[in-house]
Amino acid sequence: MLWTWGSGPPHAWRGRSGRLLAARAGLILWPLGVWKPSFGSGAATPCQSAERRLNAIVNPLLLYVGLAVGAVGVLMALPRRKVNPQIIGAVIAAAALGGVILHLGLRAADAGQMPNINFYLFAGIAILAGLRVVTHQRPVYSALFFILTVLSSAAMYVMLGAEFLAFALIIIYAGAILITYLFVIMLATQAPSEEEVEALSPYDAEARDPVMATAMGFLLLAGLTGMLAQGVGSLDPAGSAGEQQAIVAHLPGKVMRDLNARGVFDGLEKPAEEKLHEHWDVSAGTVTLRVTDRAALEQSMANERVAELVSDGGGEEVVVHLPSNLKASNIDGVGWALIAGHPMSLELAGVVLLMAMLGAVVLARKQVELGEAAKARAVQFLHAEEED
Amino acid sequence: MLINLLASHAAPQLHAAIEGGLGAITLYHYLFVAMVMFALGVIGFLARRNLIIMFLSTELMFQGAGLALIAFSRYHFNHTGEVFVIFVLTVAAAEAALALALVVLLFRQRESLDAQEWSSLQG
Amino acid sequence: MTLLDAIPTLSTLASGGAEHFAYHVAEAGPKWMALVPGLPLLGAVICLAMLLFKRDMGGRSRVPAYLVTALLGISFVVTLIGFLQWNHGQPWVVHAFEWINVAWGSGAGQSLQANASFYMDGLSWLWMLFVTGLGAAICLYASEYMANDKGYARFFSAFALFVVSMSCLVMGDNLVMLYLGWEGVGLCSYLLIGYFYTKPSAVAAAKKAFIVNRIGDLGLALGLYLTFTTFGTVQYDELFAMVSAGVDGSGHSLAGTWQATWIPLLLMIGAFGKSAQFPLYVWLPDAMEGPTPVSALIHAATMVTAGVYLIARMYPLFLMDEALTALHVVAYVGTFTAFLAATIGMAQFDIKRIMAYSTLSQLGYMFAGLGVLTTNGAAYHVFTHAFFKATLFLACGAVMHGFAGQLDLRKLSGLWNMKGWRIVSVAMLVGCLNLSGIPVITAGFWSKDMIIAEAFTTPNQVIAGSSLIGWVLLITAGMTAYYTFRVFFRVFVGPVEFEPGDEAHGHGDDDDHGHGGDDHGHAGHDAHGHGDGHFHPHAPGWAINFVLAALAIGSTVAILPNFMGDHGWVGGLLHDSTAFYQSGFGHHEAPAGEHALANSKMEVVPVAAHSAPAHGAPSHDSAPDAHAAGEVHANSFLGMNAHAVMYYVSTLFGLAGLAFAAYLHGPVGAWSFGIGNRTKAAVSRADGWKRAIGPIGRWAEHKWYVDEFYDLILRTPLRVIAHIFHAFDKLIIDGALVDGAGLLPRLLGRTLRPMQSGVLHGYATGMAAGIGIIVLIVLVMTLS
Repeated sequence: MLWTWGSGPPHAWRGRSGRLLAARAGLILWPLGVWKPSFGSGAATPCQSAERRLNAIVNPLLLYVGLAVGAVGVLMALPRRKVNPQIIGAVIAAAALGGVILHLGLRAADAGQMPNINFYLFAGIAILAGLRVVTHQRPVYSALFFILTVLSSAAMYVMLGAEFLAFALIIIYAGAILITYLFVIMLATQAPSEEEVEALSPYDAEARDPVMATAMGFLLLAGLTGMLAQGVGSLDPAGSAGEQQAIVAHLPGKVMRDLNARGVFDGLEKPAEEKLHEHWDVSAGTVTLRVTDRAALEQSMANERVAELVSDGGGEEVVVHLPSNLKASNIDGVGWALIAGHPMSLELAGVVLLMAMLGAVVLARKQVELGEAAKARAVQFLHAEEED
Repeated sequence: MLINLLASHAAPQLHAAIEGGLGAITLYHYLFVAMVMFALGVIGFLARRNLIIMFLSTELMFQGAGLALIAFSRYHFNHTGEVFVIFVLTVAAAEAALALALVVLLFRQRESLDAQEWSSLQG
Repeated sequence: MTLLDAIPTLSTLASGGAEHFAYHVAEAGPKWMALVPGLPLLGAVICLAMLLFKRDMGGRSRVPAYLVTALLGISFVVTLIGFLQWNHGQPWVVHAFEWINVAWGSGAGQSLQANASFYMDGLSWLWMLFVTGLGAAICLYASEYMANDKGYARFFSAFALFVVSMSCLVMGDNLVMLYLGWEGVGLCSYLLIGYFYTKPSAVAAAKKAFIVNRIGDLGLALGLYLTFTTFGTVQYDELFAMVSAGVDGSGHSLAGTWQATWIPLLLMIGAFGKSAQFPLYVWLPDAMEGPTPVSALIHAATMVTAGVYLIARMYPLFLMDEALTALHVVAYVGTFTAFLAATIGMAQFDIKRIMAYSTLSQLGYMFAGLGVLTTNGAAYHVFTHAFFKATLFLACGAVMHGFAGQLDLRKLSGLWNMKGWRIVSVAMLVGCLNLSGIPVITAGFWSKDMIIAEAFTTPNQVIAGSSLIGWVLLITAGMTAYYTFRVFFRVFVGPVEFEPGDEAHGHGDDDDHGHGGDDHGHAGHDAHGHGDGHFHPHAPGWAINFVLAALAIGSTVAILPNFMGDHGWVGGLLHDSTAFYQSGFGHHEAPAGEHALANSKMEVVPVAAHSAPAHGAPSHDSAPDAHAAGEVHANSFLGMNAHAVMYYVSTLFGLAGLAFAAYLHGPVGAWSFGIGNRTKAAVSRADGWKRAIGPIGRWAEHKWYVDEFYDLILRTPLRVIAHIFHAFDKLIIDGALVDGAGLLPRLLGRTLRPMQSGVLHGYATGMAAGIGIIVLIVLVMTLS
């Protein structure tokens, strides 16, 4: 199924193939029409453009081989009772996935869009830590690895310019949720000593149907990757400075503070925050202010930063250009989008949280009354455990 | 400190994003990482028997989804994605609170965290 | 009454305008008239309560009988007092309480007012007097007759409820009350026919009665609805005021409208159902499965005359139609029923069944009377018939009671000479004489004669073929005399012989059949053995004898009203009622004879059409316009004055029938009761005659196979259709659709159930696979 995407006409297979590997892969996969190294062909059909986009990112052969190897690695890394090649598996998986990411990076370098080196660092940490979360035999370690994942995710958030959420993530996840997890883990398990592997709970020491799970997960990954390759690239990058301006237009206080910090208001009438709109031409990005003290204005205009902004025509009023770097910050944008665009959702989130809190309180306080049958079952189960 | 360092390194990238959005290829990098995290979460949920680890795996899936949302948000220069991450965090927090309370209850009943212990829904 | 105050113009119109029937402005009557239905209702409720709270001592308590008898007696007395206080001429309207009063607009016909009010005019009084009087008497009879039956309280509860319903029917001042009573008596009839509910034939008969009555009731309901939509009211006052003015509810003339034809036709169907006229008569003979007092009161004297009452009450509506279509049908159907029932009655052996057919026959007479425009004759016949038919039934009941359910006239003989049976025999004789129309000394003679004479005098132009009706009725009278005295001669005259029936009914203690008809082993205890020595009949007690004697006397005394006043007491009553129709009062002493009749006939129809001006006083007072319209002549009997001649002619036919019965079934020396023996010759004579008429006798014995015919054309197809539907329901609806619909998910569930491992991971894997499938689908779809 995965390969059906590229079932284009065979004649579409044209073009330069400088690399032996790619050509070979193309030959191998040609009957399936998966990969056709057709860089730069002009009028591309949707099918061709999808292939080209995937090619632009990563060699598909390498991608899927990497995924397959990664799957084997994850499979080996999952806990087993007898032979436990966890470390080898983890290494293989990390190598495979890292190879894919590395390849992605090389391609990006070709296109001149290579991500920051920090991305590779934190992506690697996140994936490796995530692998350990799902493969580690001891829940406490899993949770700790998860904290590592969260931290590296937060780093990636910062790289993506989402500082607010990066901090929110750390506070909520690492600070709150994971602590709860740790509490519960400690409450629900007796931590064995480092050496006593046998003391592990059977359900921790052994994965259930790991082949199935790994196959499912990696098939999903392959499907998603395929979708990514042919779907996302067709979206044009949207969003512009205009949207920023639109948000700033709602934030007169921010404008006032910025202008004030630059000393623009010396010698000019300082309007009240709520009156700013009367003077503000949002589309032009200018504020028209009345001159109160010509001398003070002259003096302040001696300052280069102010002169850059204020165009003085010598009349009663001057036009102040808003500074070009006066943009809505990430926090401004999130806050605005949240409050102006989704206020009801915010309320609902609050209700959900409240209900969850109440639910947790109610559930945790509940004294479990075992019926006779349940007690008998529990005793039987415990006996069975002991016999094991 | 680390954050400042990261931010400074990210500065030219950010600038480019402000002018023309996140580059498509860079977006793919983030999305790939997000998908890997999600897939790992799925594998963990399917393979592990410990209820707590299963829930941790779902948190891993949340992480993948969150990262993808942030990347898209950046790509489109639109804050809606970030708002959704807030809700993801909300739901994750609520889910964690409830799920862990349930786990505690279940553990009290069977003295075990094995998910296979609870199969009374068998048809 | 306020209602009447609201329509003064109508009342003046009525008094001045209409002469073909009397419209009288009603006056408020005394409230205590509400006791007439109220007391029996109380009795019914008390009996029911005793039944429900198990205070009837397992059906042995005699309280219900005496209570209901007493209450019915008081009810009768109240009726009588009311009647005596009643000022002849103006009807009473007794308002009990408001029942239905709804309005959905202010226009004509946009409100419905039907109060629990009673409208007492001559017609109502006549019916109420014999309903409560006979009710009380028969109740007393039943107190002995039913003494040994379980469910004593049940019987008297239904019995009292019947009187309540009948009162509603007769006394109601609007059509809704009439309908309430109509259905009420139908219900009580059903309950009482099916009184012996362990007997399949009784249950079947009850169902038959109820279902056949449905057909009639549908007609009545449609008729009432059409009346309401036409006139916008169901109250008699307003209704008859409009009819007398010849207008409908919105003031339009009724002449020639389809409503004028169809209202009477629909009401007539209702009357046919309740009064068991052809073709809806089949339920009445089967209704004899009920206890005999019930047969006497409900299925002979009162309820079955409700149809006559309905037509008499609605007579102005029947006269609306210029062509008198409905009255034609009434006349023909009544005549045919009279004749048909008489032929069947001649061939039956069950004496109670013979009486049932004679009831049918007499009801046919009444309908024929209504049809030939003599409400007086019809009502008088209802009155006399109520007495003598009740007498006959009660006498039959006494026989049945005493002979363990034996009703076959071939197996009973010589009761006249049996000890303790003399009163029964005399009462039976009186009843038989009345039914046969033996001249002068019997009331039945006078009333039947009035109808037959009127049939001959009514012009053929008004009721086509009225002479033929008269002839058929005359022949039927002869046949009636024959089958009546066939019973009498067979059962009461001749040597004392009997075979007991197979029921233990009425033999001392029901729980101990010490000398029951089905137990012949106790001959030794027999102190006064009769007949075969194993069985001794149970002679009637004081209550039965008393009631029989009273009714026999009543039957005879019922002659007297015929000679009270100008047109008889009944005629006087009817003059003050809506059933008044002037031509019916020509009768034997009308001075202007057929001329007055012819004139009035000619006038009647145009009045309805409003083409004639208002007339003067009713012509039975005087006949000033007697010669105004001479071209239409009344029919006469072979050129003679029908009224004058009819005495002799009908006497002739009656005596001929009687003589024939005596010839075939009577003892030698027919008139010496108990002296002669029924000879073998007499029996063989009957057999010879039976052979001579060939299969006709057998057909008549089988009731002309009407039941079988209905079975063939109605019940069989219905049953076949029902079976087809049943099969369809079982196979298609139940089998394919319902079970099939259930089977599919069940199979699906059985297939998919193993997936429900109960293990969390299984479900999670399913979810992940689902996500994977969705991803692939999206992938494929967006690619192509």
